[in-house]
Amino acid sequence: MKYLSIVAGLAWTAFTVMPATAADPMRFGLCYDLTKVYTFVTPQVAQAAKDYAELLNMKGGIEGHPVEMIVQDHGNEPQRGIECYEKLKRDGVMVFDMLSTPVSRAVLPRVMKDGNVLIQSLAGRGDAVDGDVFKWVFPVGPTYWGQAANDIEYIKQQSGGQLKGVKIAFLYVDYPFGQEPIGILKTLAAKEGFDLQLFPYPLPGNDQASAWTQIRRFAPNWIVSWSLSNMHVIASREMKRNGIALDKYIAVNWMNEIDIGNIGAEAAKGIKRGTNVAGGSNHPLIQEIIKELYDKGKGSGDRKNLEDVYYNTGLAIWSIAVEGARLAIKKDGWPLTPDKIKAGLESIKDYNANGMMAPVTVTAQDHGGGGKTRIEMWDGSKWVPQTDWIAAYKDDVLSVVKAQSAEYAKSDSQK
Amino acid sequence: MLFRQAGIFHTNYAADRALFPIAADRWMIGILLAFGFAAPLLVNSLYLSSYLLPWLIWTAGALGLNLILGWAGQFHLGYAAVMGIGAYATVHATRAGIPWEIAIVLGGSTAAIIGIGFAFAALRVKGLYLALSTLALQFVMDWVISHVPAISGGTQATLQAPDIRLLGQPITSDAGLYYVALVWCILVTSFMLNLRRTALGRALIAVREKDFAAAVIGVNSFYFKLVAFSTSSFIGGVTGAILIGTFYHAVTPEQFSVDVSIQALAMVIVGGLGSIIGSYFGAAFILLMPGAMNSLISWAAIRFGFSLSIETLAHLPQALYGALIIGFLLIEPLGLGKIYNNVRDYLLVWPFGYVKK
Repeated sequence: MKYLSIVAGLAWTAFTVMPATAADPMRFGLCYDLTKVYTFVTPQVAQAAKDYAELLNMKGGIEGHPVEMIVQDHGNEPQRGIECYEKLKRDGVMVFDMLSTPVSRAVLPRVMKDGNVLIQSLAGRGDAVDGDVFKWVFPVGPTYWGQAANDIEYIKQQSGGQLKGVKIAFLYVDYPFGQEPIGILKTLAAKEGFDLQLFPYPLPGNDQASAWTQIRRFAPNWIVSWSLSNMHVIASREMKRNGIALDKYIAVNWMNEIDIGNIGAEAAKGIKRGTNVAGGSNHPLIQEIIKELYDKGKGSGDRKNLEDVYYNTGLAIWSIAVEGARLAIKKDGWPLTPDKIKAGLESIKDYNANGMMAPVTVTAQDHGGGGKTRIEMWDGSKWVPQTDWIAAYKDDVLSVVKAQSAEYAKSDSQK
Repeated sequence: MLFRQAGIFHTNYAADRALFPIAADRWMIGILLAFGFAAPLLVNSLYLSSYLLPWLIWTAGALGLNLILGWAGQFHLGYAAVMGIGAYATVHATRAGIPWEIAIVLGGSTAAIIGIGFAFAALRVKGLYLALSTLALQFVMDWVISHVPAISGGTQATLQAPDIRLLGQPITSDAGLYYVALVWCILVTSFMLNLRRTALGRALIAVREKDFAAAVIGVNSFYFKLVAFSTSSFIGGVTGAILIGTFYHAVTPEQFSVDVSIQALAMVIVGGLGSIIGSYFGAAFILLMPGAMNSLISWAAIRFGFSLSIETLAHLPQALYGALIIGFLLIEPLGLGKIYNNVRDYLLVWPFGYVKK
């Protein structure tokens, strides 16, 4: 059996190994769910990645090497995600993103075994920011734990520097995404002495009526909400019905301009969200993309997506990946290997893509880049930042991360 | 022509009861088996590990579902849940140090026990009501896994599966994993082939056709329904364990969600109820066609130079895939297996087509 596989392996290598030349493009693999569950975010992210690659190529690529973003649909099915990974891996792609929690989880064992880079921002296991355990996974951006802690920090600032007696409702959709921050919130509640209550509602999130009736009785000072896109619209309707002011509502980063449009731009005034990217299109980078691509009809998609914060999220994810590759080429030269890209990513320092996002500093230990977010408020026409980029309660967040990554390390060592 | 029956004389009972009395069938199966065993040498590793391997495993799964759906005629909308139970039980057992060979049997048995426990309640109703109560099994399992960290493996709900060890030898190469799947698929297939000519198989068919008529002729339909549920759950459980061991290497609840149940059901229906070769076709169709359509459309987009937006490019294959399913079922409502049989029946008597009538 072993002999057979060696023969097969040799035959395969003989067919495929060709020397890399200087004109070789730097390929990134975007295996996204473009048709099922994550469609509220993937088109914008993929469009941002393609636009960014186009812009880079106009300027000569990464240190002279053109960039190619390969987008493929996996329909949120783990086995198709694996197929996409296996296929692109053999096409010479070394950096992948799945942008889907189930698929990220499914390819993780392969990525760790093969030693390829998995960019896994905002979807997938949060404890992968622990670079000591997850050597090949780079969830650059905030973890949900860090984001929840930053929300609490904001509430603390708003309550005059202390949280004693403050009532915080945590509203969440009852599956792993929504359950994730519960642990850290309980820890912080014990530490800061605020009154925390949990209000789950079931998938698909169209019916939140019972949760909101209970919230009304609880009469919280703040509501932190772990919901996805349209669930925020439902929540805002329930808030209106229950007579709760919208400006108490702090959403997780998954709330965009489309949701605001569905609530009504005027009616949504005062609603808040945590975010790791600056909202709106008024940044040097997006302005450049508009000028160089969309004004000349060369954009990779619908122009109205540029107003969508998920487009900014996509730009943030892929500008970080590209920056890592750039540093890698600069440091160790072409052709790249996953090892070089890993080293490149781990040397990113205070990078913020021209003010587009929270500055990130990735190290070999911290693959999350610091986990900074800020709170933004919708003022009826645009997002207004309410805080600086903050990363609060770092020790508490780190201990959650460490506890979970240790669990993984333990289960991995039992193999 | 190909399937010539001339010269076949059944001179003893064994020959009469042979699985494949026609020489051409035996030849074809021989060639396919030879190809199956030589595949690691003939096929590149991408096709081996990402297409052939999952296809074989899902065929085994579809056959297990076909047992309950096609043979015993009982609806089952929670088959993925059954596979998941087997997978989780096996992974937990191997992590507790039980050898993998025993662990998969344990996994299969756990699935069979839970499957049969559910069947006791579910079999008090029939038809669509049964379908809905099996769907409940799916949701109960989903809920239990996502709310009991001891099963799901902590808040991240992923449990790393230990490498498969056979007789103490770790199996990690693509070819090795492929052979594990191949052997399991062959085992299930031969079980199903032989089931047709056993008392159990005939009793199941009697129950499927009309359960009270079966009861009148002395077949205890409730008992045989339970047997069907437990056998198919056992096959499902082991298949789930093999799927994790050879393909996913980590188990998460989404790998056995309700969508997967529907997919398994689609494999059986598109392939053909009660058809063994149909399960192979159905699994290939449902599993591999979306990817194949994807590649086809992207290839065509590059080849003929039409530029499509990212979203259109992703949705077009889905639409085409849906149209294909509808098309095939319109041409032959009994599934792909029946299409194959039609061709075979035609060739059986060619060129004397009037013999059929």
